[in-house]
Amino acid sequence: MSHHLFLLSPTDTPLYMLTHLSTRSAGSSALPLSSNLPNWSTSAFAGTVAALSGASATGALVSGKTTPAVIGGGQDRHVVQMIANASLDAIEETVRINSGMYLRAADKFNEWTVSAFITPGNMKFVLLHDAKGDDSVKNFFLEVWELYVKTAMNPFYTAHTAIRSSVFDARVRGSAKKYL
Amino acid sequence: MAYNVPNSRMSVYSASSVSLNSPPPSSTNVSRFSLAGTPVTPVNTSTTALSTTANNKTRAAIYDRNLNKTRTAQVSLSAYAFLFSEIVQYTQKRVSGIGDLERRLNTIGYRVGTRVTELLAWRIESSSKVPKREIRLLPALVYIHTQVWKAVFGKPADAIEKSVEKDDEYMIIDNDPPITRHISIPRDMAQLSCSALTAGIVEAVLDGLGFPARVTAHSVPTDTFPQRTTILIKLDPSVIEREDALK
Repeated sequence: MSHHLFLLSPTDTPLYMLTHLSTRSAGSSALPLSSNLPNWSTSAFAGTVAALSGASATGALVSGKTTPAVIGGGQDRHVVQMIANASLDAIEETVRINSGMYLRAADKFNEWTVSAFITPGNMKFVLLHDAKGDDSVKNFFLEVWELYVKTAMNPFYTAHTAIRSSVFDARVRGSAKKYL
Repeated sequence: MAYNVPNSRMSVYSASSVSLNSPPPSSTNVSRFSLAGTPVTPVNTSTTALSTTANNKTRAAIYDRNLNKTRTAQVSLSAYAFLFSEIVQYTQKRVSGIGDLERRLNTIGYRVGTRVTELLAWRIESSSKVPKREIRLLPALVYIHTQVWKAVFGKPADAIEKSVEKDDEYMIIDNDPPITRHISIPRDMAQLSCSALTAGIVEAVLDGLGFPARVTAHSVPTDTFPQRTTILIKLDPSVIEREDALK
């Protein structure tokens, strides 16, 4: 199972991202996603089209080629980013009518589920995951929020700029391990 | 549709206050998901190059500290007044006129406000099962009037009023704002209201909640309250449209 976390500023600039591979795999060693996502050996653009046209169709095509490395961490990274970006429209629509900070399964793309968390400062935390969204995702978001607030309270941190603190990174990884 | 967040104003102080280790990323032409200034390496293998041992010690502290307010975490009014007086003096040396001075105080307040809005909401909402944000205008204004004022000044504001003539103007009124209690404005600067800082805080909170507005401070002295101050909120047209749509 892989999870992708993005922290986006109110102007949709990415401030931090994280790819987390969970050891708590629901199925087996064969990742359900890796078989569905295409390989990018030829051209990135062709791969994007393939991913958009439906992941299951491409599964047969790529199965004979070299094994894909880390999902979302390697060359197919831009597809993951694009899915998260595409969900922003759906998120921004719900944000106006839904007063909850945690938006469970705000968007879906093939077998990906996108959950989001909107802070009062209009920061958007977006998580791509393939498991069912439940309390663990919410608890994960709450911990990331606490870490973000602590980062923002630092007078040497300028609001809405990339978060480069290694401690922040380590803490987020820690909560990802704990909850996801 | 993204809200019109005044990104340009945030970049005003990025040159001076960005962390010592990194150059400020140019926020204007950054496309989504391309982190400016960071090499594009797989996230799960990259380590940021900031970790000297000395840094780690100080950095760890802010992530270990508790965000909740304790009884001893209050600041005395004298310290607050002293700091604010220094801020005003410092700013006044670097501006050309009253308008400029107010604008700068407003910008400083905006920085305070972005932190207040996150921290306050975290204190109130993080323990609740379903954390909420304000999405309607009036509850948001009441929230500023009571919660934000209490957190920043230790007491709620005195009134909220809606402009009779204009639909998009609201006023938050404080009869005796603590930050200007020890300020007497010289006669030749009668236009100045140092509550511009408060206006900046209000503007940041409204911006964060998705109600972009232009907020200014005006002193309207009365006989009983010579320090009476009005925080005038002029809402962006998009806010009115959205409110009408939600009705």
